Amino acid sequence: MRNWLLPEYIEDVLPAEALRIEILRRKLLDLFKVHGYQYVIPPMLEYMESLITGAGHDLDLATFKVVDQLTGRLMGVRADMTPQAARIDAHLLNHQGVTRLCYAGSVLRTKPDGLALTREPLQIGAELYGHAGIESDIEIQRLLIKALQAIGIDEIHLDFSHVNVFGSLIESSQIDAQLEQDLYAALQSKDQPAVAALTKALDHTTREALLHLTELNGDKSILAKAFQVLPATPAIKKALDSLQQVSHAIDQLGATVSFDLSELRGYHYHSGIVFAAYAKGYKGPLALGGRYDEVGQSFGRARPATGFSLDLRGVVSALPPAQSNMAIYAPVSADPALATKITSLRNEGRVVIEALDDADADLNELNCNQKLEHYNSGWHVVDVVRN
Amino acid sequence: MITIALSKGRIFEETAPLLAAAGIHAAEDPESSRKLIIETNRPDVRLIIVRATDVPTYVQYGAADLGIAGKDVLDEHGGDGLYQPIDLQIAKCKMMVAVRDDFDYFGSIRSGARLKVVTKYVKTAREHFAAKGMHVDLIKLYGSMELGPLVGLADVIVDLVSTGGTLRANKLKAVEEVGDISSRLVVNQASLKLNRDKLQPIMDAFQTAIAKNK
Repeated sequence: MRNWLLPEYIEDVLPAEALRIEILRRKLLDLFKVHGYQYVIPPMLEYMESLITGAGHDLDLATFKVVDQLTGRLMGVRADMTPQAARIDAHLLNHQGVTRLCYAGSVLRTKPDGLALTREPLQIGAELYGHAGIESDIEIQRLLIKALQAIGIDEIHLDFSHVNVFGSLIESSQIDAQLEQDLYAALQSKDQPAVAALTKALDHTTREALLHLTELNGDKSILAKAFQVLPATPAIKKALDSLQQVSHAIDQLGATVSFDLSELRGYHYHSGIVFAAYAKGYKGPLALGGRYDEVGQSFGRARPATGFSLDLRGVVSALPPAQSNMAIYAPVSADPALATKITSLRNEGRVVIEALDDADADLNELNCNQKLEHYNSGWHVVDVVRN
Repeated sequence: MITIALSKGRIFEETAPLLAAAGIHAAEDPESSRKLIIETNRPDVRLIIVRATDVPTYVQYGAADLGIAGKDVLDEHGGDGLYQPIDLQIAKCKMMVAVRDDFDYFGSIRSGARLKVVTKYVKTAREHFAAKGMHVDLIKLYGSMELGPLVGLADVIVDLVSTGGTLRANKLKAVEEVGDISSRLVVNQASLKLNRDKLQPIMDAFQTAIAKNK
């Protein structure tokens, strides 16, 4: 029995990487803080009903479940913190105006996913409640770009979609739930042949529009094309207008922008603009976000909502390997001057490791590339000569 | 660098003209070369030769930007994380249900029998029979499915049929169509967002070539 073996897709994060992740976590939370996002710590687990409310079937299957020994009710370990933040906003804070919340913590998924291909992503995110206008979408997208820049990622690319384009086509042609589900799956994979096969019985306008959706992805120019080829209903016009506004706002922030009108991720709970951040070197999206105005409804209070989250483990997966923090080795000495020197170095943020005894320590193993030596009647930091 | 994943044999042979239409020519013939990475005339495009069933996996995880995969393989994989925008109209065949010549398939269904099915395509078979409202027991095999009904391992097979020659030689008959199969172009999602300027011309060239062949 190899009892040290971890379950699949569950891993330890070892010192150098753990330090880097923790520093990034603090950096992002500080960034959120100065933008007015208040930090909350939702519980690791709660009743299934509230955990997956409004978020649909996929999240249910992704959630590990346990039976509460106190009540016999089914509890889930959170697989996504966004619904928890929405619950806090809807029920506990009861603000009438705008609420900004942020959070960071491990979540568990039954199946590995994301960039890090892990079942334990370290989710960090920011959500804005109580404002339905495009301004709040843009604030969230700007914050995301700043967060990625703070992590040290350049060449950021944001891909936008709007779920109401597809949603209003479904609604206006009264497509039944099964066909809606099939069309959703076909559009998600841009499977034009499948869309063609599924839409044979639909009216001409809707069919053409759905077929066009599979091709409406690319740079800004596809919005102009979308205006031409999609039906000019108020809902579609409004959706395309808001995408255009977003495009103007993000252009000035040093991120490139693209649009993909067949992207329907989270279609069942998103209600407006959705977006995903990509960057060079990453094999998938780094961060996901969008508007979800209806989710609060299931907690008794519908509130406009938009936000984003990312997995820190995934984000560091494409960065160069983390370097250990180098340390200074201090010998055993009763000299009070040494203690003073060590304190002042530590106050500067330097790492000082004090010897426990006179035995020769392996400085390599301790990551010490410098040590404290006494000469010229004082303690000085000198480089360790490696042989 | 754009990496295209595809398998040897029929798929490679039938894809070569499409690649040529996009101005991509393999520097070596994968049938004779033992290399797994094949350079092309374009320094920014390379081919990787993988098993047909592995193509979606390579593309899903971004190890390849594009891939050529049969619909049969894609359905089994599930298509997570992939775009599959173009039906390449190559390597066409049908996914069929087949039984022994003397087996009354529709009679057994009517009597509510619980059939044993051997197949390489477990997911496809499960969905096909579930849609018909039938209970079946699935047995996964990796090849020579035709043997299943002959040696009493199963009542039914679900397999690809192109000419029907193998079925006839083994005294089997196709009784039901599961679906049409042809090869698809699959695209890694992140790659399409980040490398559109390189991928789109290849995809457009494929589209044009396919339209011409029709």
